[in-house]
Amino acid sequence: MAINTNIRKVILIRTYSAFGGMLVFACFIIWYLIKIDFIERKKWLNMADSLSTKVFDVAPVRGNIFDCNGNLLATSMPIYDIIIDAVAAKDEEFETGIDSLSMGLSNIFKDKSKDSYKKLITNLRQRKERYHVLHKKASFKQMRRVQQLPILRLGKYKGGLIVENKNRREKPFDYLAERTIGFTQENVAKVGIEGAYDKYLAGTSGKKAMQRIAGGTWISLNEDDEIEAQHGNDIITSIDINLQDVATHSLMNVLKLNDAEWGTAILMEVQTGEIKAIANLSRVSEGEYKERFNYAVGECLEPGSTFKLASVMSLLDDGVIDNNDLFDTEDGSHQYCPNATIHESEGKGSGLINIQTAFEKSSNVAISKAVFNNYRGKPELFYNHLEKLHLTKKLGLQIQGEGVPLIKHPSDRAWSCTTLPWSSIGYEVLVTPLHIATLYNSVANNGKMVKPLFVKKIVNNGNTVKEYNTEVLVEKVCNNETLTYLRKMLEGVVIRGTGSKLRSPYYTAAGKTGTALVADRKHGYKKKIYRSSFCAYFPAENPKYTCFVMVNAPSKGVFYGAAVAGPVFKDLADKVYANSIQLHKELKFTHNHFSNDLPSIQVANTEDIKQVLDKVSISSHMHNDSINEFETDWMQAEMQDNSLAIQPVKTLKSIMPNLQGMKAKDAVYMLEKSGAKVLVEGFGKVKKQSVKAGERINRGITIKLQLS
Amino acid sequence: MNQFWNNIKPRGDQFMWLIILALSVWGLLAVYSSASGLAYKKASGDTELYLFQQCFYLLMGFCIMLIVHSFHYRYFMGLSRFLLYVSYALLLYTLFFGVEINGARRWIGLMGFTVQSSDFAKVAIILYVTRTLAKKQDDIKDFKKGFLPILIHVSLTCALIAPANFSTAAVLFSTCLLIMFIGRVSLRHLGILTLVLGVLLSIMVLVVMSTPEKYLQHLARFLTWKHRIENFSKPPQNDPDVTYQNDHAKIAIASGGIFGKFPGNSTERNFLPEAYSDFIYAIIAEEYGFIGAIILLMLYLFFLYRAMRIILKSPQAFGALIAVGLSFALVLQALINMAVAVNLFPVTGLTLPLVSKGGTSIFFTSLAFGVIMSVSRHIEEGEESLDIKEEVKSNKINELSEIV
Repeated sequence: MAINTNIRKVILIRTYSAFGGMLVFACFIIWYLIKIDFIERKKWLNMADSLSTKVFDVAPVRGNIFDCNGNLLATSMPIYDIIIDAVAAKDEEFETGIDSLSMGLSNIFKDKSKDSYKKLITNLRQRKERYHVLHKKASFKQMRRVQQLPILRLGKYKGGLIVENKNRREKPFDYLAERTIGFTQENVAKVGIEGAYDKYLAGTSGKKAMQRIAGGTWISLNEDDEIEAQHGNDIITSIDINLQDVATHSLMNVLKLNDAEWGTAILMEVQTGEIKAIANLSRVSEGEYKERFNYAVGECLEPGSTFKLASVMSLLDDGVIDNNDLFDTEDGSHQYCPNATIHESEGKGSGLINIQTAFEKSSNVAISKAVFNNYRGKPELFYNHLEKLHLTKKLGLQIQGEGVPLIKHPSDRAWSCTTLPWSSIGYEVLVTPLHIATLYNSVANNGKMVKPLFVKKIVNNGNTVKEYNTEVLVEKVCNNETLTYLRKMLEGVVIRGTGSKLRSPYYTAAGKTGTALVADRKHGYKKKIYRSSFCAYFPAENPKYTCFVMVNAPSKGVFYGAAVAGPVFKDLADKVYANSIQLHKELKFTHNHFSNDLPSIQVANTEDIKQVLDKVSISSHMHNDSINEFETDWMQAEMQDNSLAIQPVKTLKSIMPNLQGMKAKDAVYMLEKSGAKVLVEGFGKVKKQSVKAGERINRGITIKLQLS
Repeated sequence: MNQFWNNIKPRGDQFMWLIILALSVWGLLAVYSSASGLAYKKASGDTELYLFQQCFYLLMGFCIMLIVHSFHYRYFMGLSRFLLYVSYALLLYTLFFGVEINGARRWIGLMGFTVQSSDFAKVAIILYVTRTLAKKQDDIKDFKKGFLPILIHVSLTCALIAPANFSTAAVLFSTCLLIMFIGRVSLRHLGILTLVLGVLLSIMVLVVMSTPEKYLQHLARFLTWKHRIENFSKPPQNDPDVTYQNDHAKIAIASGGIFGKFPGNSTERNFLPEAYSDFIYAIIAEEYGFIGAIILLMLYLFFLYRAMRIILKSPQAFGALIAVGLSFALVLQALINMAVAVNLFPVTGLTLPLVSKGGTSIFFTSLAFGVIMSVSRHIEEGEESLDIKEEVKSNKINELSEIV
C-alpha cells in the first residue's frame, strides 16, 4: 500500500494547502470588512446620509393679488406637464392598450386625433424615446384622467407616465389691468405689481429632510419641515375690478371703433391718488387688442393740449397775466421762428380772446403767445414751474418701468427758438400719461399733488405687513386764487368748450381735451397721425376721481380728444356715478305725486316694498278683495285713488309664475325656493323667462332669465 | 412512511447539517428583509411573498438534499457523464433559445420554472471532474490519459457558459483547477495551463478595453464586462452613478458597525440593487454587524473544514475527493460573493449559496450539498469497514458506471 499511502499524503497536503489558500482569501475578506467597518467608517456613514436622506426645498405658495374689494386679480394654480416614456411599457401591454390610450388622450386634450396620437406614441416607441412631453400645462382634472388611461395607469416604471408639477399664475380677470398686475418670469424683466413686489409675493422656500424608502419613494424624515416654507404675502391693490372692467372694455370699444393703434385709460381717486382702473391696450392684429405695454406708466410722449394746464397755471401763479389780458389769435397762426409757425387746430383765428376763452377753446396761438411773451426773457421761471409740478422727473411709482420725462432746460444744448412756445402747448416735451393725470388730480385735490398709488397693503394671513399711505408730492401746486380760476376754466371746457359734448345731466365734470399731432420717425408731423386725449375730474365742485384717456393714431377720420377719448371717460364716469350713492345729488320731492307717477309693481317681496313705500312716503293700502296677506311673501300693486293697492300674490311652489318686471334678486329667490336652478343673463329686471308662466316647475330644472 | 423517513433522515456529519440549516434560516431572514424593495416594485409591497417563495425553494432544496443524501453517492458518480452531456445540451439550447434577462441569455423555461442552465452545468462538471479524478488516480500524472480529458470537458462547459455569464465561467474554471489541484493533477500541467490562460485573458482584456464602445454594443456582453473591469480597476471619483453599488454596499457594511442594526432594520436594502442576491452579504453585515459577517464567513469555512475531515478519515475513498471538491466549489463561491460585497473583487453575479434569494439555483446547490452529505453519511457509517475491501467494491461500481 505504499503507493496508496503516497497518494493519501499528496492528497492531504494539497487539500491542506488549498484550505490554507481559502483561509488567506477569507483573511483578505475580513481585512476589507475591518477597513470598511472601522477605518473608513466615518466616510461611508457621511456618504450614507447624503445618499439616503436628502434635503428637499419646499416651494412656498406665492401670494395672491387682490383688488381693493378683495376680488382676486392674480393667484397660483397647479398645472401639470404630461410626459411619456414610450419605452417603459411591455410589448404586450403596449399592443393591447395603445388604441384606447390614444383615444383617451385625444378625448382629454382634444388637440390631436386618436390616430395622430397613436402614430406619435408608436413612433416614439420605435425611436426609443424615454422623455417626450405629450401635453404642457394640463389641469389637475386632466392629469387625473390621464392617470386612469390604459398603459399609463401602470405608473412611471411600467407604464411610462411622468407627471411634472408646476405652478401657473392665473389671472381670474384675464386681461383686465393685465400689464399693471404684471408677471415674473425667470431671466425676463419683471413687470408690474408681480414684478415690483416679487420679494413680498414669492415667500421663502422651506427645507424638508426626506428619506428614501422601498420602491424608490421619498418620505419625510420628520413630521414637520425642518424649515417651514414662508408663504408669500398677499397684496391688496388700489384697483377696483368693476371700474377696471368698464375702463378696459370701453377703451377696447373706442380703439376698435377708431381702428387706433393703442390707448390707455387711467382712473385715479382724487384725495388718495389710488389708481382705481388702469387699462392699456395695443393692437395686435386687425381689430384685436391686448395688454402688451403699460403706456400709462412707461410711455413718454408729447401730451399736446392737456399740457396747457401747466402753462396757464404757471402764468396765473406768477401773476403775469389776468383775465383782462387779451391775446390776438390773428389768422389762426403765429410764426415764432423761421419755418416754425403755430397754427390753431381748427385753422382759423378767434380774434382777441382772454386766457379763459383761450383755454376753453384750446387756442394754441393765444396760450403760446402768453407764455412766449411772459417767459421769453426768463424761461427758467417756466421750467421751474414744470419742475415743481413733477413733470421733469419720474414720479417714483410703486411699479417699475416708469418712463423718464424729457423737458428741456434753457441751459440745454437742445433748447431752441421753438422750445418755449411749443412746450407751452405740449410739444417738445415728453411726459407719461400718469404725469398728466397726476397734474390734473392736484388741481382737483385743491392744489395738493399726490403720487399715484397702486399697492395699498401687504398682508399675511389677514395681518397687515406693510401699508402704503398716500404720498404727497407737492403740498400746494399753486395759490388758491389760481386754483379757483383754473377749476373754473376746466369746468368751462366741459360746459361750453371743446369738451361740451361730454356733459352729463347727473354730474359735473371739469377737464381738458388734447389732440396732438404725432411726430412720426420718418415723416415728422407731416403724416397727420393724431393722439387724442382727455383728462378730467368729477364731480367738478367736489372732485372724487380724475380720469385720463389717451388714444393713439385713430384712423377713422375722427381725432379730436373729446370725440375719440371722451367716450371712455364718459363710460367710466357714468359707472362711478351709478355705483356711488354719495355722489348723487339729493333728490327732493318738490310736488305731490300723481297717480301716473307712481310705480306699477309687478311681483315683489311684500316687506321690501313696504319699506320702500314708507321711505318715500307713498300711501298704500290693502286691496279690497285681497286674500290674507300673510299667506304669501309676494305682492302686486296697482293704483287706486292716489294710493297703491297692495294685493298679495298667491304663489304655488310647483307652478311657474310670471316674472316679467320682477327684480333679479326676487325672481331668483322665488324660483330657487321652488327647487329650480336659475341662469341669469344681463342686468335689470326680468324681460324673458325660459319657462312659460303657469307651467309646472320640476325640481332641479334649469330656468333661464333674460334681464334688461 | 416510517421506512421512507428512516431512509432519508439526515445522517452523516451533524455539524455540517447544522451549518446547512443555519445558513438556510439566516438566508431566509436576510432575504425577507432585503427583498422589501423588490416587493414594493413588483408585488405592491407584499414582502411576505418573497418570504414564502424563499421558504418554498428552501424546503424543496431540503427535500432534494435529503433524498440525494439517502442514495449512495456512487449512483451519482455513475450518472455524472450522462449529466454532463445533458448540461451541454441545455447550455447550447440556452445560448440560442434562452430567455434574455438584462441583456444576457442565461435562462430557460423548464416545467414552469426558469432555470439558469449554468447552475446545472456547474454541478455536472464538478461531479464529472471529481469522479474522473478519483477514477484515474493511477494515471493522473499522465497528460493524455489524466489531464487532457478533464481539461477538455471543463473548457467546453466554461466556453458554453462564458458568452452569457463570463464571471460564472471564470469562477467555475478556477474551481475546477482547484479541484484538479487537490486531485493530484501534475503541478507542471496546472502551471502551464494557468500561464497560458493568463496570457490569453490579458490579451482579451486589452483588446476589449481598447475597442471603442460602439463596436462592442452588439457583441453579447462585452460592453458590460468592459464597464465592470473599468469600475473595479479605476473607480471614478465623485461619480456616484458609476460606483453606486459598491458605495452602497460599503455604506451598508459601515453602518452596521460591530453589532449591526439588528434584523429587519437595513436601510441600504432600498438603495442596493440586488440586495437580496449579489449583495446580501452587505445587508447581513448591516443588520448583524461585523460580528455577524465574521460568523457567516466562519460557517462556510467550518463547513469546508468538516468536509475535509472526510478526506482525513479516508483519503482513498472514492467519495472523499468528490465531497471535498464540491465543498471547495461551494465555499469558494461563497467567498467570492463576499469579496464582491466588500469590493475586493469586481461584480460577478455569483450568489451566496443557500443564503441569497434564489429560485431553481437553490435546487442545484442542494443537489451538491446532498451529494456531499451522502459521502459524509456513508463514510461515517462505514467508518469501520473502510479499507481495501471498500476500495475494491468501489472499483466494481466504477466499472458499472462506465457501462451507464
